[in-house]
Amino acid sequence: MKFLIFSEDGSNICGIATKLRDNGEVYGVTIEGEESKCLQYGLKEVYALKGRPMGDNCFKALNKIDLTNFDRIFISSSPLGRDIAGMIASSIRSIVITEAFDFHLEGENIRTKRFFFGGKTILEEESSAKVITVQPGSFEPEKVDGNTPVTMADLEVSSITLDQEVEKERSGTDIESAPILVSIGRGIGKKEAIDQIMPLVEAVHGELSGSRPVCLDYKWLTEERQVGLSGKKVKPRVYIALGISGQIQHIAGMRGSKTVIAVNKDKDAPIFQECDYGIVGDLFQVVPKLVSALKQ
Amino acid sequence: MAINIVVLIKQIVDIDQLKTDPNSGEPLIQNIPLRIENLSKNSIEAAVQLKEKNGGKVTGIIFGTEKANSAMKEAYAMGVDEGFIITGYKGNNPAYTASIISNKIKELGNVDCVILGNQSADSYTGLLPGLLSTELNMNLLGNAVSISEEGGRFKIKRVLDEKDEIISAEKPCVISVTQEINQPRLPPVLQIMAAGRKPINASAAGAGNFETPKIVSNIAPKSDRKRQLFEDMDKGVAEVAKAIRGEMK
Ligand SMILES: Cc1cc2nc3c(=O)[nH]c(=O)nc-3n(C[C@H](O)[C@H](O)[C@H](O)COP(=O)(O)OP(=O)(O)OC[C@H]3O[C@@H](n4cnc5c(N)ncnc54)[C@H](O)[C@@H]3O)c2cc1C
Repeated sequence: MKFLIFSEDGSNICGIATKLRDNGEVYGVTIEGEESKCLQYGLKEVYALKGRPMGDNCFKALNKIDLTNFDRIFISSSPLGRDIAGMIASSIRSIVITEAFDFHLEGENIRTKRFFFGGKTILEEESSAKVITVQPGSFEPEKVDGNTPVTMADLEVSSITLDQEVEKERSGTDIESAPILVSIGRGIGKKEAIDQIMPLVEAVHGELSGSRPVCLDYKWLTEERQVGLSGKKVKPRVYIALGISGQIQHIAGMRGSKTVIAVNKDKDAPIFQECDYGIVGDLFQVVPKLVSALKQ
Repeated sequence: MAINIVVLIKQIVDIDQLKTDPNSGEPLIQNIPLRIENLSKNSIEAAVQLKEKNGGKVTGIIFGTEKANSAMKEAYAMGVDEGFIITGYKGNNPAYTASIISNKIKELGNVDCVILGNQSADSYTGLLPGLLSTELNMNLLGNAVSISEEGGRFKIKRVLDEKDEIISAEKPCVISVTQEINQPRLPPVLQIMAAGRKPINASAAGAGNFETPKIVSNIAPKSDRKRQLFEDMDKGVAEVAKAIRGEMK
């Protein structure tokens, strides 16, 4: 079989390639500058697209590589990836499976798992889907010997113009690899309250993460720290949820945690259904007590 | 410029009220009320704001079931001018949905932009914007947190992981929005009553020859959490500190 993997982030190609490479020839497509991240994962060839990537011109570039040559096309899920997957779906006329976090090839078919009902259920499907979008971080990348050759290809000029671009401050943290996460929700009330949380983060040698409102609406934390269905999927040894209600879209991002601790002043908060240890109370009282207990 | 806007509205079971069977994990969908999907509300609000600013018309399309009248009335109350319900929705099948909706949009003609949510709250597929842009041959402006129009060009701001971008394209455009774009309005009672009297156009979807995946299972993931709840703070802190220390070794 022949597989194609697209991601604008070269590192997202590696895990999917690792999963696929024993089943056939795997090709990768990424953006110029990203290709070096995915050359040791047994891919047959990597195409690096030169130019400013938008949905329309990436779709055209993929068509030039000739999508009909491939048995299956995997796209790492992202805003760009999903736009492109939709465009491919319309041209290929095949079943498309989206946001898969696990899959197995079953002869001519593919078995996939994804969240449904906003994360309340896991939908397992079997289909002949030719296009599958995959959640980043779903498969562990493993290197192999040898180096993948790179082919450069040009992106056409997009009909979408970029009028302005504001780079974001990035802390460069990687919450996905932190062994302990202290995660904050709307319940901390204001950005300044983070100062009162930091002693706990330090006491557990952890990292700070947050719910979607904290990262996107209020920007108390940068987006790379968002946990959830539309954020990062994390699996720390300990996940400490402070002032997070535990809506299903949040749970979908931290379900893989080994031990979950929740602090919430509302006894009926749904997070208490998804925790190992829950403390009902004001987080601003609990956190200092916990810090001193940990220091003993 | 007066803008001819189409907004796509999805009606879903109220997933916040959805429970799963504690034993089998099956979702208990019976008797769960229907509601407008979260991002559809953001989309309606964005469309109505765009009309309020530039003039024009907002046409709502629901591909759903016979039960979609209530959703369309709510959309009317929020400011949608005309509504079309296409019945025959059989579940999550983005390619089929896109073909039905794009046929309707072509039939309406002269559409400047199609506004929809970037990923709906229930199925979370996110394919429709790309599908529609290709089928309608419209430019795709994805993941907007704000939309404006100037001289036949649409401009959006979007928030990506590593940067914020302002991008623009010539009309017609498909514009997908994220939930951060706005706070959907709660229409006043008078508007809701007026909406109840407004006619809704209804038609049935043509059959499509679209394969669907075979569902192997659709159940709640098992949760083996201990769920030890402490209302006594000091006791809780002691227990939690022990658990954390155990994991820090
Ligand atoms: C399509 C879609 C995708 C989404 N993706 C994500 C996602 O990836 N990640 C995500 O997190 N959300 C996501 N959401 C949003 C999600 O539905 C919730 O709105 C969000 O998780 C709520 O965040 P929160 O728990 O911080 O805030 P809230 O729900 O407001 O909860 C705040 C909690 O803090 C408690 N509290 C307040 N003060 C205190 C105090 N002093 N001490 C202790 N407790 C206190 C309250 O009791 C409450 O339970 C998504 C939604 C949609 C529709």
